Amino acid sequence: MAKAPKLKDQAHIVTANHLTSGDVVYLTVRNDWSRDIAAAFVAPNAEAAAAWLAEAEAQAARNIVVAPYLVPVDAGTTLPWPIQFRERIRAAGPTTEKAAGGVA
Amino acid sequence: MPLLKDGNLVGEDAWLSVADDAPLPEDRPALISHARWQADKEQLVGRNAPVGIRLPNTVDVLDFGPEAGRFDLIVLEFPKFSDGRAYSQARLLRERFGFGGELRATGHVLQDQLWHMQRCGFDAFEIAREDATQAFAAAMRSFSHVYQPTGDGRVSALKQRLAATRKQEAAE
Amino acid sequence: MYQYDQIDQTLVDERVAQFRDQVARRLNGAISEDEFKPLRLQNGLYLQLHAYMLRIAIPYGTLSSRQLRALAQIGCKYDRGWGHFTTRQNLQYNWIRLEDAADALADLAKVQMHAIQTSGNCIRNTTTDQFAGAAHDEIEDPRVWCEIIRQWSTFHPEFSFLPRKFKIAVTGSPNDRAAVRVHDIGLRMHRNAAGETGFEVIVGGGLGRTPFIGKTIRDFLPRQHLLSYLEAILRVYNQFGRRDNIYKARIKILVHEIGIETIRDKIEAEWQAIRDGALKLPQEAIDQIAAHFAPPAFETLLGGVAPEYANAFRTDFEFGLWARRNTFKHKQPGYSIVTISLKKEGEPPGDMKAEQMLAVADLADRYSFSEIRVTHEQNLVLPHVKQSDLPALFKALKAYDLATPNVGLASDIIACPGLDYCALANARSIPIAQQIALRFKNWERAHDIGELKIKISGCINACGHHHVGHIGILGVDKNGEEFYQLTLGGSADQDAALGDILGPALDTAQTVDAIDSLVETYLRLRRNSDERFLDTYRRVGLQPFKEAIYAAA
Ligand code: HEM
Ligand code: SF4
Repeated sequence: MAKAPKLKDQAHIVTANHLTSGDVVYLTVRNDWSRDIAAAFVAPNAEAAAAWLAEAEAQAARNIVVAPYLVPVDAGTTLPWPIQFRERIRAAGPTTEKAAGGVA
Repeated sequence: MPLLKDGNLVGEDAWLSVADDAPLPEDRPALISHARWQADKEQLVGRNAPVGIRLPNTVDVLDFGPEAGRFDLIVLEFPKFSDGRAYSQARLLRERFGFGGELRATGHVLQDQLWHMQRCGFDAFEIAREDATQAFAAAMRSFSHVYQPTGDGRVSALKQRLAATRKQEAAE
Repeated sequence: MYQYDQIDQTLVDERVAQFRDQVARRLNGAISEDEFKPLRLQNGLYLQLHAYMLRIAIPYGTLSSRQLRALAQIGCKYDRGWGHFTTRQNLQYNWIRLEDAADALADLAKVQMHAIQTSGNCIRNTTTDQFAGAAHDEIEDPRVWCEIIRQWSTFHPEFSFLPRKFKIAVTGSPNDRAAVRVHDIGLRMHRNAAGETGFEVIVGGGLGRTPFIGKTIRDFLPRQHLLSYLEAILRVYNQFGRRDNIYKARIKILVHEIGIETIRDKIEAEWQAIRDGALKLPQEAIDQIAAHFAPPAFETLLGGVAPEYANAFRTDFEFGLWARRNTFKHKQPGYSIVTISLKKEGEPPGDMKAEQMLAVADLADRYSFSEIRVTHEQNLVLPHVKQSDLPALFKALKAYDLATPNVGLASDIIACPGLDYCALANARSIPIAQQIALRFKNWERAHDIGELKIKISGCINACGHHHVGHIGILGVDKNGEEFYQLTLGGSADQDAALGDILGPALDTAQTVDAIDSLVETYLRLRRNSDERFLDTYRRVGLQPFKEAIYAAA
């Protein structure tokens, strides 16, 4: 959250944390939230991304999620895959995870 | 903005907040800025009706304190709830300089701060809540004991324990 | 150990009730995230990279077996079956659900624990020597003073909204194991000419973006004045510390900007006004707290080495290694202090599974008067073990992977959570620690190298203390890639110093190789095996190490 990227004209998805569980979630095409980044809806450009974030913020105001923000993704891949390393870790879970059922 | 004094709602504030360039009312308690006090001190000391002062939280109370007794009201500011300078100002005014008038908190005053504020000597609060009295009552129930001695008269845990052992020893 | 009385218990229970109400108001929408955030932070609940993280206070690093069991149970019930011990002698759970947070705190309160003031701009958990009350070199037990500070600082009405967080550390021994020179306030106990114990008061130390070694503000403070002096320091800081820039808000910046002389004058003047007031500690009050820390019922053992111990030392090579590295001299004849390494090579430093916690709790009951300590180097300690029990304890620890004989060695690495968990990170810390530790798995080499403190932080906030590592590693972000900057020659001990930057940052693979080269360079240059890495560095300087890393490139 601290370092939200400048909005480049490129593909984005929206992420947030689920209010009650704290889980990392992504906004889907059905306007609900999934723990699976594969279900994230990809906004193709900056304009669409801004509108998409506004929807997420409305849901934050309704206390469904916390702190939504945009994540730039590589549009060339079949599944949306973040460009930033940090967001990849956020999507896949800690790279050191050892406890059973670790990675969300 | 609802004003609480000693836990009760004050219908209308008796104090008139006066701009720095406006004349002071003759017959009504007037609240002035620290800057005006600094500038017009001579003129203001002769006044009969009560005077109150708004003290920015950047004022060093060690400088201002000796004059505190001239005022019936001191308003201290919380520009953000997280800016806690006025807690120290309040304790110094009450405990070092013996200020006995109304000590009012204004600005970003939230329910969860009221407990700390009254422990530091505040007795009046401007609080932006419909249910100000209930919020205050709830805040005053937060804790049954305190660890620190302040000017609020509550007996610290340490003193309570000492008293308990002394009593026990006396009984033996 | 300190036991809560009715007053302490009531306060902690009331805090849980208050937080439960705040969570309920958040979940039903009565308060917004903006209003809730400071409230949850005051109860140690962060929102991290993946989930909510709950930080539990372990006051001055002291745990009973019952408390450690409760931590294991809470880890299983509300988290994923483990916890992470931190450099601030605290414990973090990484996967707590908001709807469970109040229940977790209620379970903690049942064993006299809490998460109060583990975050926010207030006085944090006071830390101390992990060997307190046991170490042979101790002047006085610092836990007594930590507990007095804990009570004074808990819900302090004047100091709950300081310019920035505030950390106090106390050492009761001349050999500083509490890093007192890198805290906002460091208190070092010593004796004056008359033989009375008191405190050297050090202010303005700290790491983070602008590291400073603290400065002495008063050479000797008599014990009964401790709280009034702390209150004077905090009152000056609360009023005059900067609030315009979060990076300049710590007391170290105030000390730096107005100078130690000016701040001393202000603090001493404030102290003169309050020193004989309500905060002055009557001897009876000190005695009352001290009674909680009375030594356990040690057996009177003769000097000399217990036969079980001597025998195992001769016959069991692994035991010998472990006993040499992981035990420390106790003040009671016939007893030892045992450090349990949470740094098995290849494992995340400081992580502990619930089964391991339960095992250590049992071992503490059996061998250490039910006491456990947490170290700022992310290990655990059993403070009072009979030497004749050491072989049996070693075997039992080994069964749980808890007998790695590496305390103080290259693989005993401090690492912050880094980018694997932390929302502020630039780079990962834990995987680097894991890879480096594996390089030093060979015991022969590791023991030959001897004491070497490697400390890793994932960003400039320095939660992993990299500035004061003999080798410090700082994660930086270079065009979206993880890079690491190395520093050499830091120390957090009585000879505290900040490390010097070695050169341009390196990528992950280069970093792990570089640590190897630095160590090889040291081995080549050292005068003999008694000269530690740090000593050699201080003698020869940066240049040879710099060449070893950058010359080839
Ligand atoms: C994962 C969540 C964490 C966050 C968000 C966090 C945040 C921060 C920040 C912002 C600072 C810099 C403060 C300043 O300089 O004003 C800091 C310093 C520090 N933190 Fe953390 N930290 C986290 C975890 C930890 C952990 C796990 C430890 C212990 C291993 C720790 C121990 C420290 C220490 C020792 C310092 C530096 C000493 C000092 O305060 O000067 N923190 N942390
Ligand atoms: S040093 Fe940086 S990355 Fe590491 S825990 Fe602290 S804030 Fe996070």
